Amino acid sequence: MQRLFTIVRLFKEYFVLALLSVISLALLSLNDNSQIRTIRAYTIGIVGTLQSAISIIPNFFSLETENEILRQQNVVLTDEVSRLREARLENLRLREMLQLKEHSPFRLVAADVVGKTLDLLRNSITINAGERDGIRINMPIVSEAGLVGRVIATSSHYAVAQLMVNRDFRASAKIQRSRVMGILAWAGGESLQLKNVAKTQDVIEGDLAMTSEYSNVFPRDIKIGTVTHVAEREGGLFKEIQIRPSVDFAMLEHVFVITTTPNPERQALESKVAK
Amino acid sequence: MNRTIKYLLISLLLVIVQTTIARLLSLEGITPDLLVVWLVYLALTEGQLRASVWGFGIGLCLDLISGDFLGLSALTKTLCAFVTGYFYNENKTQMTLGSYRFLLIVLLGGLFHSLTYFLIFTLGTDISFWRVVFQLGLTTTLYTATVSLIPMFAFSRKLALRA
Repeated sequence: MQRLFTIVRLFKEYFVLALLSVISLALLSLNDNSQIRTIRAYTIGIVGTLQSAISIIPNFFSLETENEILRQQNVVLTDEVSRLREARLENLRLREMLQLKEHSPFRLVAADVVGKTLDLLRNSITINAGERDGIRINMPIVSEAGLVGRVIATSSHYAVAQLMVNRDFRASAKIQRSRVMGILAWAGGESLQLKNVAKTQDVIEGDLAMTSEYSNVFPRDIKIGTVTHVAEREGGLFKEIQIRPSVDFAMLEHVFVITTTPNPERQALESKVAK
Repeated sequence: MNRTIKYLLISLLLVIVQTTIARLLSLEGITPDLLVVWLVYLALTEGQLRASVWGFGIGLCLDLISGDFLGLSALTKTLCAFVTGYFYNENKTQMTLGSYRFLLIVLLGGLFHSLTYFLIFTLGTDISFWRVVFQLGLTTTLYTATVSLIPMFAFSRKLALRA
């Protein structure tokens, strides 16, 4: 026994390292634990308040570039607004003709981005809307440009959203032109990839990718981005499709949370069939 | 003030700064990891054992705040502190802190931290480990090492004044 103590004392650094590593690995495997979610909710609340206060300070390094981009966007958007006005009028006219009623089935909650982690490690945003505004985990987040991500943690006044450019993000997506379906995932860097698309299916560069009706989290037909690269690897079954997101995550300031939760009836039926 | 309380307050302050204000220093999305610099300092002044415990605590705080991958930063920061703790020498602490050796140790610690972090981060994904290491790990490490010049010069000056 005495010998064992001597060994432990001699190599105490290694024992402590092993112990801390085991605890860390155990925590990694417990990532969906409810107690941990509660602790996170508190920390998110505190940090969200701090980030909200600090977000008024501009980043001087990027201010000049940001101004330039905003000016360019202003020109593009002004042009787009006038075209959209025309399209809206035409749309109204056509709807009237077809006697279709205009509807928006979802309630949108507007929120400001008060914190942003875009170091390409843990790409997420903190927004100043939380459980008190009806925000729940897994609700989709969109901006005027398209899909942004989904809510992964909430406190009473704040929520953290996982962006599309996050290693854990997955969504069912389709190509607007050819209706080809696939699974959307982050490819690293700034691009996304559409997986499980067979080589025989029709996808070309420039195609628009949208959310598909297969998703139980995201409503259908939300714009995701544009196909920038299509390749076929020899011996592989699927195409390699890269998509550039339509949302500029670096410029993201205001978002909308779609306060829709997965359809319980559909979920129940699907899980029943799966059993 | 008790040294442990002092370290605790500084660690908490740095965790908050890293998760909130550090973005103001970001260049092309790359943010310096101030906590790695702090951990190297702790490793050089307190030794491997204590630095490992501090690394674990600081990493855990960071994980809780970021709301993602609980345990990942705890593990990588512990390992970073442990590795840099090999350079602990009670008799040469001040000399190491005030010389280019501090910079080199931050570089080594930062690189080791990035490698372990991305190794776990990219597991089970289609994200290329080497691509992320080269694109983010190296740049973050270099930026962190550049920031560590500030404490290095401060210690160097302190050493010169003492002499």
